[in-house]
Amino acid sequence: MRIERIAVKQEIEDLGPVDLDLLNPLIEKYKSKKGNLIPLLQGAQDIYGYIPRLAFEKLASETGNELSDMYGVVTFYAQFRLNPVGKHIIKVCHGTACHVQNARALTTSLKEALKVDDGGTTEDGLFTLESVACLGCCSLAPVMMIGNETYGKLDGSQAVKIMKKIRISENN
Amino acid sequence: MKSDKGIYISVEIDGKQIQVPEGSTVLDAATSAGIYIPTLCYLKGLKSYGGCRLCIVEIKNMIGYPTACTTPVTNEMEISTKSPELQSIRREILELILSEHPYSCLICNDKKECQDFMYTTRKVTVTTGCNFCTSNGGCELQDLVEYLDLKDIRFPITYRNVQAIKNNPFYDLDYNLCILCGRCVRICNEERYSGVLAFVQRGNSTLVGTAFGESQIEAGCEYCGACVDVCPTGSLSEKMGSWVGVPTDSTTSTCILCSVGCRMNINTKGNRIVNIGPRPGKRTEPDQLCIRGKFIPADITHHPERIIKPLINKNGAWLEITWDQAIDIITKHFKEFSGNDFGIIGSAHDTIENSYALQKFCRVVMGSNNIDLSPTYNDRSLFKKVHGFQPVGIDEIIGFDAIFIIGSNASVSHPIIENRVRKAYHHDAKIITAHSHLNRTYQFSNERIIYHPGSENIFLLQILKDLKTAQNIKFPKDISDALKLIDKKHASTATGIKQAQIRKIIESLAPAKKILIIAGDTLFKSSSSNDNFNLLSNIHFALNKFADCGMMFLVDDGNRFGATYTGMHPEYLPGFLEVRNGEKKWSEAWGIDISPVSGLSTDEMISNLPGNNFKSLFLKGDLPDHEKLNELEFFVQQNMFITETSKYADILLPAYCFTESNGHIINIERNLKQINPAVHAPEFIKPTWQILSNISRKLKNKSFQYRKTNEIYEEITAKLDLSIDKTSRKTSKFVLSMPDIKIPLKKRKIEMIPEPDYFLYQGNSMSKLIPDMKQLIDKKGGKHG
Repeated sequence: MRIERIAVKQEIEDLGPVDLDLLNPLIEKYKSKKGNLIPLLQGAQDIYGYIPRLAFEKLASETGNELSDMYGVVTFYAQFRLNPVGKHIIKVCHGTACHVQNARALTTSLKEALKVDDGGTTEDGLFTLESVACLGCCSLAPVMMIGNETYGKLDGSQAVKIMKKIRISENN
Repeated sequence: MKSDKGIYISVEIDGKQIQVPEGSTVLDAATSAGIYIPTLCYLKGLKSYGGCRLCIVEIKNMIGYPTACTTPVTNEMEISTKSPELQSIRREILELILSEHPYSCLICNDKKECQDFMYTTRKVTVTTGCNFCTSNGGCELQDLVEYLDLKDIRFPITYRNVQAIKNNPFYDLDYNLCILCGRCVRICNEERYSGVLAFVQRGNSTLVGTAFGESQIEAGCEYCGACVDVCPTGSLSEKMGSWVGVPTDSTTSTCILCSVGCRMNINTKGNRIVNIGPRPGKRTEPDQLCIRGKFIPADITHHPERIIKPLINKNGAWLEITWDQAIDIITKHFKEFSGNDFGIIGSAHDTIENSYALQKFCRVVMGSNNIDLSPTYNDRSLFKKVHGFQPVGIDEIIGFDAIFIIGSNASVSHPIIENRVRKAYHHDAKIITAHSHLNRTYQFSNERIIYHPGSENIFLLQILKDLKTAQNIKFPKDISDALKLIDKKHASTATGIKQAQIRKIIESLAPAKKILIIAGDTLFKSSSSNDNFNLLSNIHFALNKFADCGMMFLVDDGNRFGATYTGMHPEYLPGFLEVRNGEKKWSEAWGIDISPVSGLSTDEMISNLPGNNFKSLFLKGDLPDHEKLNELEFFVQQNMFITETSKYADILLPAYCFTESNGHIINIERNLKQINPAVHAPEFIKPTWQILSNISRKLKNKSFQYRKTNEIYEEITAKLDLSIDKTSRKTSKFVLSMPDIKIPLKKRKIEMIPEPDYFLYQGNSMSKLIPDMKQLIDKKGGKHG
């Protein structure tokens, strides 16, 4: 048996200038503390919504953390982002219960409707599509979350409909 | 490792009672008792990681299978390392590891034949061997498969299918073979502090990588090769070795490319260098090399442009001649010259035997004191003065509380020394770095000083003056008076260093009990070299009043000290005895009268041509291209390559590389280190001392005849104390000279000292000769500049 396993390479878009001065209070707060890596990264993400490369470089040079360490941590935890996200994050559950209830159909339909890949953000910056492990409400399988709202017992077309409603309300 | 030597406890391993220091791990205990426990991620000298789970053991009254590398021993512990159950679990763990690692070579029935016969030049289809990996003899998986007697793997194959990285200089990266033991990541961060490698992604997609997936060059790789040395698979491998095969021999030698003089282990097959590691037979001990020792020797030894036969210059074209012809021609011409007509310029990348032979030949056979090295330092008496300081051992560096490193780009020029400074920084030593431009050492510094180029001497004066006031140090009167004259404001303008910064430096130094001054070579390459030296000595004197202060001089080139010590100097005979004083020691030893007139230095020989009646030169190594060399009547060069200067030469002789030589060098710690031949030099190359002996024989001079390198060594040791670090010496007083600091900044003559090419071997620029090195120098950018 042969399992194809191709490493995902994260492409990082060049998004032009970022205001790095916003990081100064954060650096001041954590600069000389031990174990400051994750609070710094979380802080940076709170400021920009994602962690821009320039922010990495500034954090590395001013706090003494290695760039490679920071990158390793950011790629390890799902909470960190290297690219900006949309206004609404669609989390489609792919836990065991949802998986057997055909969660894949939700992702596939949403991919088609949004014209993005898994993990991608739509061109208008409204939606980011994500696959996650268990959301913790298996009785509602298959489940997705948009923002803080949970939607259960869906199929592909229902999921797309919910997304479209939000898009319409946003466009008005 | 963390053992408290006082307390020993007794443990039982596989029924064997042993005493081990409290605090050691089960693995340490077993190793000390000669009991083998298989490991993959464990690396002596690094923090235990417990990642591979192969070192699991059974311990009485302990649940489960703890890992030997992370479990500390306790009194009366009963450990079992080889029960059938353990072996079966280990086998399963190895199977799981191998389900990600191409393993057909590991369990193939024909593996013995394959390893012996698979290496062929591949221009046609090869039927023997599957060649998944570089298979350079470093694969520890092979040993484990053997040990656990693994015959088949039950799990599905989950190869990664990632592209191997082949465009990296010096080593290839094929992460398909990686087993994620983390050795490279840990050595890069914990031992070398390079911070290039990290684990990226998570779970199934975890791989070793760099930040943002950049190339190693862009990520700031220093190419120390530590990751390649510790890799237990073929995932990281030296490019030079990949076409040679599994090494069959290994030779311990000394790296001559910088003055640290690292011990190195050259692994060879036939007459080829396969790879170079820090220890015999093994590549995984944490003793480290740098880019020079690790990668360059193989490239330079087997360089395709090497000249291997004597050449004669016929109107600009090089024609091959035999050695007999070459010696005849040289002898014929040398007969015409003697005394000041003739001179020898040697290389600081040569053994003391060759250096001694060159200077003796010059003085005894040719009757000339015109003997020098190229390139030289401005201050001609520098090495004699350096000799007045007790040397500091490289391994002692980590024990200092404060390190003041000035005028040095040590991470390039002396990476191993700079690595110890990084370690000291992580052991909470105060590091003060001062240089005219930023370099990587600043990343590991508490105080970062950047002075205006060429203002080193004024900066040192600033420090000395503040040190005197802050610590109330009593200097001899002349120095105190001189210091009073210094205007702090003028000094600040001249160096660009504010008074507050100077105060901070003094504050960092004041509480330290042990202080080390590391003086870089740029201090001694400027015209104020003498002042810089005197100032440093006075600072050393002042610091010694309240702390134990050591001084380290980062001179470049492997054997510069040794070569000068054995007499490669126009003013000094071996042992720094002055020619002018008409010393009898060497006249008596050599049975001739040595001229009591100092010889010409390299500069005086060349730049005053033809007015100085200097007519003939024997050059070992290279000189900067100088058109006045055209004025020489007869010019012999001995070098491994044809250089820019060769066009002026009449005869060009091939030379040995240090990997082929036999002899000794004296390193920066002033220790005598041995150089052993790992490979044979190409057939028609002769060592320098032998060429000189042949010429001497033709000249019918009986006082210079050698048949073996050892004869020269014995002659040197009979007359000269080479255990120099132990001899006691008196430090003389160094007078303070006063630079004129009142010249306004705009009118000040700025002396630019260009960063030298630290990658020279016998005058040949390795950054030009070695394509990988060229790629590195051209592209060097990224975060560390």
